[in-house]
Amino acid sequence: MSFPSIPNPVETTTPASSDERGATLINHWQSGVPVTVGPVLTPLLVLLMMLASLGLVLAGMRLVSPLGPFSAMNSVYAWGIWKTFNVMTLTALGSGPLALGMAAWVFNRQKLHVVMRTALVSGFLFYATGLIALGFDVGRPWNFYSALMPWRWNSESAMLEISICMPLYCALFLSFEILPLFLERLYYTGNEKARAFLRHISPRIRKAYPFVIIGAYVIPLMHQSSLGGLLLLAGDKIDPLWQSPAMPWLYLIAAALCGFAFTLFLLLIVCLRYSRKLDGDVLSELANLLSGMCFFFLLVRAVDLTLRGQLHAAFAFNKMSILFLLETSLILVPAVVFRFRRARRTPRVLLNMSALACLGGMLYRFIPTSIAYAPMRSTSYFPSVPELLMAGGYISLGIVAFVFAINYFAVLPGESSTWDHSFRPFGWHTATAAPTTSLSKPLERGA
Amino acid sequence: MNILTVPITRRQAFKAMLGIGGSVASAVLPMSAEASVEEHPEFPVASPDAVAMLYDSTICTGCKACMPACNEANNLPADTQLSGGIWDMPTGLNAQTKNIIELYQDPKSDEFAFVKKQCMHCLDPACVTGCPFGSLKKVDFGAVTWNSSLCIGCRYCEVACPFEVPQFEWKALNPKIVKCEFCYDQRLKEDLQPACTAACPTGAVIFGKRDVLLVQAKDRIAATPDKYYENRVYGEHEAGGTQVLYLSSVSFQKIGLPKLGNASLGHYATKVTSVIYKWLGGPILMAGVLGFAIRRNWRRHELERLDHEKKTGFPDQL
Repeated sequence: MSFPSIPNPVETTTPASSDERGATLINHWQSGVPVTVGPVLTPLLVLLMMLASLGLVLAGMRLVSPLGPFSAMNSVYAWGIWKTFNVMTLTALGSGPLALGMAAWVFNRQKLHVVMRTALVSGFLFYATGLIALGFDVGRPWNFYSALMPWRWNSESAMLEISICMPLYCALFLSFEILPLFLERLYYTGNEKARAFLRHISPRIRKAYPFVIIGAYVIPLMHQSSLGGLLLLAGDKIDPLWQSPAMPWLYLIAAALCGFAFTLFLLLIVCLRYSRKLDGDVLSELANLLSGMCFFFLLVRAVDLTLRGQLHAAFAFNKMSILFLLETSLILVPAVVFRFRRARRTPRVLLNMSALACLGGMLYRFIPTSIAYAPMRSTSYFPSVPELLMAGGYISLGIVAFVFAINYFAVLPGESSTWDHSFRPFGWHTATAAPTTSLSKPLERGA
Repeated sequence: MNILTVPITRRQAFKAMLGIGGSVASAVLPMSAEASVEEHPEFPVASPDAVAMLYDSTICTGCKACMPACNEANNLPADTQLSGGIWDMPTGLNAQTKNIIELYQDPKSDEFAFVKKQCMHCLDPACVTGCPFGSLKKVDFGAVTWNSSLCIGCRYCEVACPFEVPQFEWKALNPKIVKCEFCYDQRLKEDLQPACTAACPTGAVIFGKRDVLLVQAKDRIAATPDKYYENRVYGEHEAGGTQVLYLSSVSFQKIGLPKLGNASLGHYATKVTSVIYKWLGGPILMAGVLGFAIRRNWRRHELERLDHEKKTGFPDQL
């Protein structure tokens, strides 16, 4: 699909592709560009919306009902998939803002700025849906106001760290980081008064930005490692292949790994879906970082297992050992494949390998909380139907919100020349974008 | 308009960083100041007022007199689900049962033993370490108690407890964590012994100071060597030591007491984080390092942005 070329107020030209191999479609991602053509509502999206509303209706019923009928959890397996999957596993995939943001702003990988918005929106949605899941999972949410009273905090509890930092990160830092999406839309679609206000406010946002993003990286570093720290107290209940003092570090590295892998995966999936051109440089940079992160993870894992003398257990070929080997090979394969430059520049390989890395990282985050979590009393746990429906509903809600976000806001990366800064109007219109609001002079500063 | 073309000086940046760090620290430090590395020694020592229960499985006749006594003291309804509404017949610790006598029977030999299960009142309880808002607390006499007004129902205590003691009321709209609290409010405070030890007709479970009971248990072992499994007291060192002590002629693992190391779980879980998070030093240091790097890269980015804007006429996106 090619975008109609729209004349811009100032002629912008895309420099020719520097793709010397000629293997893939390459263009140069320059800025966030919304999806402005095609219907927003597709049958798949309607299905997802139905799933999401089913999950939310069940969640609403959970409000006036005890936890018992909604879940198969019991006092031995006290944490079900809402915690172990929606929170502990999926927020790893939502660590894209942390991983990419650190790479871009701290380690100066300038190329990644253009895909930050994709990472931010997906990360925000993973965290938000995870927090919704958590809100319906805790038994006594009305006591949560203690979070505002520091004298009540048990400062040595990893749970405290998570229960305060996660909502704080999502509500304050991630929201601040995605604020420009809304302001930008308002700037280009709003009236002169709104624009004047935004011209006034945006320098202030820019001024606060470098300071806010410090918090946006320190806080997830803290709570992503604390998620692993949570499991330390479970002690011998967790199989020794996973139970390790290195678990907080490994959880953090797995979060970074999943953050890179999922952002890469998501970019490829969405660009395929909306027939966007791919930027080989950015994607191969991501793949390169992902590969490094995979190797780092495997190195820490190997050193940890060796130091604790558990290497023999890793190759015992029993259930746990096979799970471990599966998880490790899912991370090892992309790590090795992405060492090859040709692989990093082939979309099909990028898609497959990033999916494998996602799965591997998710397995590492999921297994110690559930499959390798074997308390002495042998009650079993398998999520009940409402539990699965609610978990699926939260995920569907995230996907629906993401699809809306990329349609109504400039999230996905693209060439600046393919977009005239007009936005699809809110609502169910299937028509293409409204005609450009003619602005007499080039815009001086967006949000 | 051009405020951003004049970058902030480094000194201003550091000032702002200190300001952020300071305001966060002043909110958090009053609590962290109390926490010290010594809070979770690897091998905790019982406080001088620590009380205990000594349960001798070889004396217990399985009369279960302790169970209704416990229910009565704690206002717990009888668990009559299994008995069809006739008597208290729990299948394990549950939301209506804080104390239970279980029978272990070897399917092949005629070996059998009773075991009393309730909270072990660890010297360094994992549930208390994990409890985010201090709902579970170790109070006077070393009793581990639960405070309904602080609990958010996260059930981390159930994940943390190596003995799988805390029970969550899955069927209640206002769910509580149900666990033995050593009859702290009901009896211990009034200088009475817990209901279960008071009710025990055979002296299988007795109440006393922990150090006294420990000596007594060791005397029993010394008086009849080889009667007791491994000639040792379960609970003296397990998970850092507990305030419920067990003697048994049958393997502790067979009667359902887990094999645990001697180090306290709280020590294992917090030995690194207590250093990193002490005075929030780790996060503040990390914020400083990241802030420095971000500041540098931000400036570079700003210059490129202005250049880009001049060239294309379009503002840069954040």
